Amino acid sequence: MNKVRLFSTPICPYCMTLKRFLEENGFEVEPIDVSSNEEAQKEMVEKTQQTTVPVLEINGNWVVGFDRKKICELLNISD
Amino acid sequence: MEYDLIIIGGGPAGMTAGIYSARQKMKTLVIAKAFGGQMANKSVDIENYPGFEKISGFELIQKLEEQMRNKGVEVFNDEVVSLKKENDVFSVSTKSGKLFQSKTVIFATGAEPRKLSVPGEKEYVGRGVSYCTTCDGPLFNNKVVAIIGGGDAGFEAAIFLNNYAKKIYILEYGELIRAGKDNQDKALSSGKVKIITSAELKEIKGEVFVKSIIYKDKKINEEKSLEVDGVFVAAGYEPATHLLEGLVDLNDKKEAIVNFETLETKTSGLFVPGDANFGKVKQIVVACGEGATAVIHAYKYLN
Repeated sequence: MNKVRLFSTPICPYCMTLKRFLEENGFEVEPIDVSSNEEAQKEMVEKTQQTTVPVLEINGNWVVGFDRKKICELLNISD
Repeated sequence: MEYDLIIIGGGPAGMTAGIYSARQKMKTLVIAKAFGGQMANKSVDIENYPGFEKISGFELIQKLEEQMRNKGVEVFNDEVVSLKKENDVFSVSTKSGKLFQSKTVIFATGAEPRKLSVPGEKEYVGRGVSYCTTCDGPLFNNKVVAIIGGGDAGFEAAIFLNNYAKKIYILEYGELIRAGKDNQDKALSSGKVKIITSAELKEIKGEVFVKSIIYKDKKINEEKSLEVDGVFVAAGYEPATHLLEGLVDLNDKKEAIVNFETLETKTSGLFVPGDANFGKVKQIVVACGEGATAVIHAYKYLN
């Protein structure tokens, strides 16, 4: 079972695109709003050393931005 | 698989082209990193799009995207890295290694934020330097930020960042602020904003994350430093046309030369609507209109 977490902000179109892509491939994710969840923001920034969204955590692997190739590899999506 | 039409770009021109191509029953693929284009970075409401007294960029993007997708347009979210035409067939390659082919192309990549070209900018992208206020602004809660550019985009960014940052510097290269009075009043009402004119950004410095910026105060010809956690770039836009070189004539601003009746370029079957062309009126509604025009002429080209 894949564990997927999406870190986003409320009006980030890139985050929405990534969410839709995951849903279309059968992965339902509830975005974590890092603007209101300080703990999640801290974790995201510490793990990625980045202050930008969207960020995905897939089974402990952190992906910054919509890196299609990497996300497909980590989730075994045939593209 | 060969498409009748590939639309590259997901801004207003690209999404409108998608809607029109579905209505023309053209076999279409839209390739875009994300939807919205410059609207995605619009941090205040849009008040001049017909049919809406005011609407946020985010909401308008969602409406356009839904309308396009509901018509059955195929979408591939990725960055296009090359565009070629051989034997009347266009080949479009993406960053993830996909290759798509089509008989016509609508190139609607619009414009992208102008880079500052100062030391530290590239190194700190995503680590304090941002080109998307609406995406990354909420990460700067209670932080000190600098906005580079004292035009309307810079002040609109400040209006948005007023919700999060504790202190905002706006650095303007010129002697005078270029933003409209209304945006200035809204930005300054929080009491958090400090405007610095005649400021030439020289460097962005930090360790893991941005810690300070160095700028030249041109009034006294002296370099000064400001401690900041974030740098939001609002220094205008430039056309995203580098993939067109060789296929399309570009002017000195790198805008595509098109026939404004059809939006077609010197390469037949290749159309450039919206902010990527050399039209002088850069507006959402104009980009939409040109997206529609381009599809109608792509359809004529195919038939």
